Amino acid sequence: MTAAARQFDPITFQVLWSRAVSIADEMATTLVKTAFSTVVRDNHDYAVAVYDAEGDLVAQANQSTPGQLFCMQRVMRDILEEYPARSLSPGDILIANDPWLGSGHTPDIFIATPTFRGEELVGFGVTCAHHTDIGGRMAAPDAREVYEEGIILPVAKLYDKGEPNDFIFRLIERNVRVPDRILGDLRAQMAANHFGGQRILQLLEETELERLSDLTTPIVAQTEKSMREAIAKLPDGVHESSLELEREDENGNRLVIRLRLEVRGDEIFADYTGTSPQVELPINSVLNMTTAYTVFTVKCALHPHIPNNKGTSLPIHVSAPEGSILNPTFPAACMFRSSLIFNVVQIIFDALSNVVPEKVMAPSGTFPLWIERFGGKFDDGTPYVSGFNGQGGQGARYDKDGVTTTVFPANVSSTSVELLEIEAPLLCDRKELLTDSGGPGRQRGGIAQEVVLRNLAQKPAVASLSGGRFHIAAPGMDGGGTGSHGAIRVGDDDPLPQPKQVLMPRETTITFTYPGGGGYGSPYERDPSRVLEDVRLGFVSIEQARDAYGVILNADGRSIDEATTASRRSDAAD
Amino acid sequence: MTSDLPYRLGCDIGGTFTDFVLLNRDSGKFTVHKTLTTPQDPSEAVESGVVALHSSQDGYLARTENVIHGTTLVINAVIERKGAATALIATEGFRDSLEMRREIRYDIYDIGAVFPKPLIERPNRREVPERLYADGRVRKPLDENAARQVLDDLAAKGIESVAVCLLHAYANPGHEQAVAAIAAEAHPNLAVSLSSDVIPEIKEYERTSTTAVNAYVKPLMARYIRRLQERLAGRGFERGLFMMLSGGGIIAPETARQFPVRMIESGPVGGALAAAQLGRMAGLKDVVMFDMGGTTAKSCLIRDGVMPIAAEYEVDRVHRFKKGSGTPLGVPTVDIIEIGAGGGSIAGIDELGLLQVGPRSAGADPGPICYGRSGTHPTVTDADLVLGYLDPAYFLGGEMALELAETESGISREIGGPLGFSVLQAAWGIHEVVNENMAAAIRMYVTEMGGNLADATVVAIGGAGPVHADSFARKLGVKRLIMPRGAGVYSALGFLVAPISFEVARTRIVLLEETDASQLADQFREIEESARTVIEDAAPGAAVAYDRIADICYLGQGSAVRVSMPDDLNPTEIAARFGEEYQARYGASYDDLKIQIMTMRVTATAERDSDAVALPFEANGDDAAVALKGERMAFAPDLREMIAHRVYAMERLPAGARIVGPAIVEEDSSTLVIGRGGHAEVDGRGWILVELGDPKQEADG
Repeated sequence: MTAAARQFDPITFQVLWSRAVSIADEMATTLVKTAFSTVVRDNHDYAVAVYDAEGDLVAQANQSTPGQLFCMQRVMRDILEEYPARSLSPGDILIANDPWLGSGHTPDIFIATPTFRGEELVGFGVTCAHHTDIGGRMAAPDAREVYEEGIILPVAKLYDKGEPNDFIFRLIERNVRVPDRILGDLRAQMAANHFGGQRILQLLEETELERLSDLTTPIVAQTEKSMREAIAKLPDGVHESSLELEREDENGNRLVIRLRLEVRGDEIFADYTGTSPQVELPINSVLNMTTAYTVFTVKCALHPHIPNNKGTSLPIHVSAPEGSILNPTFPAACMFRSSLIFNVVQIIFDALSNVVPEKVMAPSGTFPLWIERFGGKFDDGTPYVSGFNGQGGQGARYDKDGVTTTVFPANVSSTSVELLEIEAPLLCDRKELLTDSGGPGRQRGGIAQEVVLRNLAQKPAVASLSGGRFHIAAPGMDGGGTGSHGAIRVGDDDPLPQPKQVLMPRETTITFTYPGGGGYGSPYERDPSRVLEDVRLGFVSIEQARDAYGVILNADGRSIDEATTASRRSDAAD
Repeated sequence: MTSDLPYRLGCDIGGTFTDFVLLNRDSGKFTVHKTLTTPQDPSEAVESGVVALHSSQDGYLARTENVIHGTTLVINAVIERKGAATALIATEGFRDSLEMRREIRYDIYDIGAVFPKPLIERPNRREVPERLYADGRVRKPLDENAARQVLDDLAAKGIESVAVCLLHAYANPGHEQAVAAIAAEAHPNLAVSLSSDVIPEIKEYERTSTTAVNAYVKPLMARYIRRLQERLAGRGFERGLFMMLSGGGIIAPETARQFPVRMIESGPVGGALAAAQLGRMAGLKDVVMFDMGGTTAKSCLIRDGVMPIAAEYEVDRVHRFKKGSGTPLGVPTVDIIEIGAGGGSIAGIDELGLLQVGPRSAGADPGPICYGRSGTHPTVTDADLVLGYLDPAYFLGGEMALELAETESGISREIGGPLGFSVLQAAWGIHEVVNENMAAAIRMYVTEMGGNLADATVVAIGGAGPVHADSFARKLGVKRLIMPRGAGVYSALGFLVAPISFEVARTRIVLLEETDASQLADQFREIEESARTVIEDAAPGAAVAYDRIADICYLGQGSAVRVSMPDDLNPTEIAARFGEEYQARYGASYDDLKIQIMTMRVTATAERDSDAVALPFEANGDDAAVALKGERMAFAPDLREMIAHRVYAMERLPAGARIVGPAIVEEDSSTLVIGRGGHAEVDGRGWILVELGDPKQEADG
């Protein structure tokens, strides 16, 4: 029963849109500034948005991680289905972290604060933040069911007409390892939402805007139109690909993702039929996440610079069989869904490389995402939970080398070694770039790194180790070579076959060898002077220059043996 | 009152021009001069400008007390990669942090993104065996022989400058100092920058990148400063030469030679200092500096006269206006935001079919369409002309005639047609969108800072600032704006009012409940001692005031708040101040959380008489009519139509005159637009204060 949307002249519309986006950006700033979790403040693992009274997204903050960004598009509608808008009052605050409702794993807690003008609901300020701990087996990489992954809060009122729901606070306090931080972050989320609410009221008071929903419709329409125009430039056609993953199901079979991507007119249909059934590992990706990364990847390739809202995803139709790893049913474990879902990026770029080779990227060593967690006690008995992030190399681009040690497709910063050593009784022995890690190619894959961490405390640390490309390295694209493999070693042991939680006794080291990015184009097409430069910088060894690039250096190691190089490269061409 | 040394000379080397402003403190008058920068030896342009000023102020140099000097040399050397052959010495296993950066993307969707090349390339990044724990205790002693070997190798390679950045050196500078001692003994000509001197703060990447920039520009700046001193001495000036720092203070050349990274961007600071000074003179509490020039707009919020200091600053961005695409520096820098919104910013239609203004700029050549130099892209200045805010016959005081007809057809063609707008609607769209862009940026900035604009006044300077200030201020909910005489060149005056001041910071992580006043006092005194020697160099014998500040957070939180310390350093009082500050910023504070000090800072300032700098109005009487030039049609935003505006000549306005909007006040370097509802008053000391009012009420009255 909505009245006809108000029409604005284009300039007024644009100014109002810009103000709505700036409300979301300012909320995000408030969240980051007041957050306790390093995951929020350094990893930007959060999302923030402003919704209208019907639960449709008006605008969201730009700087956040893609999975949550896209999941925000529908979360408020889903929450309102469980908790109808008419049952809300001023002073209410809603909370939820059900993975099937939101962004697919338990640490992401949504807080939604309805905003009222007098008694009239005018919109919502909503934040989602990845919390340091949510209980359970502390992010166990071998969890079989979601029950092991901490508490799940269905949609509930955290505040009822301004009164805190003590039961929920106590429930959280009793179930997590570092309650101060978790409660601190919940407060940060509420502060950001409150700020957003005030700004929404201000916007309605100061401008000619009467209802946020008057903005939602034209924003979505304009974005959708632009996205459709970008898709329409592609030739119609069907592109089928499949991708074997190194993770295995309970029976020891490698998991497979299959994609049938069809471009039809100004729409894209991405169908994952044929993808493996869900597994008893914490890597299943709920359909929300699968959709999020599908849309994200298409946007990266076709239309990176438009804002993200429902209009971006309307022309992209995603389907995945229920009960598969890309659309699992309860109680599938899903803590590390990122280690699976990022592969969707690879398979979509692969499909699109047939039609827009210049707009895609070779597979990266940066996915699956490597996020390590350590928990234990300082020698004085103080408990700690700390994270460590590092990155491999990105895949090469059509016309550029891959970026060195930089995250993709998530967006999280690395952990400062000095801060880590203050937050936890750990010591970093070294953190350095790895020679020969980038996949050879006309454009070289990004360089990866190796990191060694050591436990200094008397008490063993519990280390939740996640990473990947242990067995299948990032392949190259269009004749490019593969990047180097990843590996995690505890002490001098053999590399772990799979991600795992281990005990790390005093003075034990763990070595993280991050994977390199795939190359793009034949390495024999790389200008020999660029290969020489890589040798000089220590990114490529003399041996790899010879074997992979066909570039032979003179005995001084500083100049090219032109004749031998030319003949070796032409022999290879024959 | 006359004095022996009435003059102060400010001089700012920019990329294109070197600007001078010479103040006679007895008369309060100032003279402005511009000369082309001489990139080969920038001190040459300084000398020629110094000489040229004699034509209007004969013999002034012998009667000049200070020359205050700012320069873009440091930042340009970084951007153009023209610094010294530089090496890095790092802890064994950590030479690559400079190249790995923060491992995060600055644009989520752009898979073609590139990052700046590391300032020190990998073969010149060397390691020494040594290791400290986080609390500064030694885990592995420095291998001095290895360090000597590395230094020998680097010197043999022709390295001129070395950055030394060892892990946890902020907690214990011993190993870094030992490396420096070996270098001094074995290679006395090698310039050495220690991270524990340049920026003794936690986080290895940021400390390394800052120390690397310092090392990279150190030899170049040392040579430049020496030549500058020689040239000035050659012209008979040997008194106080001061260098302008990015943090808003001025300092002796010797300190600038040690820490050239502190001078990274001194130019924009001038505008902030000038705005702060104007705010003090006019008795305003909070001011928003709004400096809109040809290619960018700069803005900052100055509360109670205190310069806002940025926690972090970034240089060498791949994309000038994209945060994260550059190299972070941890030196104190006045927190000024810059956005691509100036008179030359180009308007166009983006991929969503929306009107976009900037950050691309038409520059000076070809410039806006109205310059008539075959520019074809409509710009903000073009829109301002069509809207009647600028007079085609009186731009830059009539030096340049503007092409109205061509401008109108250009705006119609590029903007009006595609959007289905009249030329006037299109011009208004450009004006409105650029104002919204600027307002959005400053809103975000204020949120980050945790401030509020309710009682602020906009100080409008720069050529385009006063043209846009009315609408900009209204968008921010600010009710007052102020425009000084000489607004177009006003920022140059800032150098002349800068204090002699220097900040020294050290990371000292301690829980408030585990320390006490005497321990804190000892730590602050140690930092004060370092700061004092720097001030002594600049102002021997002057009384020094110390401002103690600590960056404080709740235990486990990422970003700290700058809190000014009570005199007695009582932890309970510190906690209370932190709580107040936190509450003011974020709306709540918590009694149940532990409080941690992260970094201690001392700003030492030499007491120095600070002048009121403004150009007083000379006309008598209080009737604005004596300055009336006539009327012209200009756009009234609230009515969305062109209406008659009275036009006044700034220099003929008498003190005390009142002007009621809609009106326009013109001077050579800028134009002030007073909208409907605005009430302005001319202050004889040299500015116009506008109460913006409400246009709707005006309609009734």
